[in-house]
Amino acid sequence: MAEANPTDTLDFDRSVIGVDVQVGTHQVSKEQIIAYSRAVGETNPLYLDEKAASAGPYGAIIAPPLFFNMLNLQPGLDPKVKFGTSGFDAGQHAEFFQSIRAGDTIAAKTMVADVYAKTGRTGTMVFTVRRTTYTNHQGAKTVVVDRISVRRDLQQ
Amino acid sequence: MSQVYFQDVEPGYELPPLLKEPTRKQLDAFTRVWGSTVGRFTSDEVARAEGFSGVILPGNMTMAFLAQFLTEWAGPDGKLNRLDVDFRRSVQPGDKLTCAGIVTDTESIDLENRVILDLYIETQKGERALQGTALVLLPNKP
Repeated sequence: MAEANPTDTLDFDRSVIGVDVQVGTHQVSKEQIIAYSRAVGETNPLYLDEKAASAGPYGAIIAPPLFFNMLNLQPGLDPKVKFGTSGFDAGQHAEFFQSIRAGDTIAAKTMVADVYAKTGRTGTMVFTVRRTTYTNHQGAKTVVVDRISVRRDLQQ
Repeated sequence: MSQVYFQDVEPGYELPPLLKEPTRKQLDAFTRVWGSTVGRFTSDEVARAEGFSGVILPGNMTMAFLAQFLTEWAGPDGKLNRLDVDFRRSVQPGDKLTCAGIVTDTESIDLENRVILDLYIETQKGERALQGTALVLLPNKP
């Protein structure tokens, strides 16, 4: 007999899975890119030095790959997962396309890609995967990222 | 910046490690740019109430160290294509972090030279804080 799948009995709103919603638009400034690059300790002149970047292959300051995380977005649809007493970020899976440049206007859309439960040695954990696609003002994809968050029940 | 070429690497090739020692000032600058007010990243008091010994770095900040590690190695003509990371343990300002990676596979498909890597960030205690995989594209040797 197949083992029971803990996701089957999980209480959440299954109707939101796979539904994309627009979650915001941001104009990216060179000041923001430079401040981010300094904070994470980048040294690449393409991120930090306007003169060097203007003469480089992109013609402007570009952002380091993970800069997209700085663009604050609306939360998107809520799968209303009814489980657990605490939550944390478990990871990110990112695919990079065109670099984000200073002056770009970046639009983002988000969907809940998956909700699933896993039961292991330390009990059950519920994973929510939110997929966000970032596109620049020319319509080109810049990043697609899956953000994985976990809820667990510390009282179990 | 020097350039590494596809022909220079094979499975088992270890990337030169990148050492990072993030400061509280850098963390504060990061949360300011982000606009985050999440207590565990901004307040020692809140972080302690959540069971940490003080503020911790957000996963997307430590993950940025891995992106720096890979893009510096890949050089101006290389490209970071994918980065998949699991956040395993918290990192605090003052921790001494080593970003490390090893090539697990290489393949040339559709004129792309793909290098697949296993990666991690280890703390001074020898604990893996982040772990993941990446796909980097490298140019041909001229």
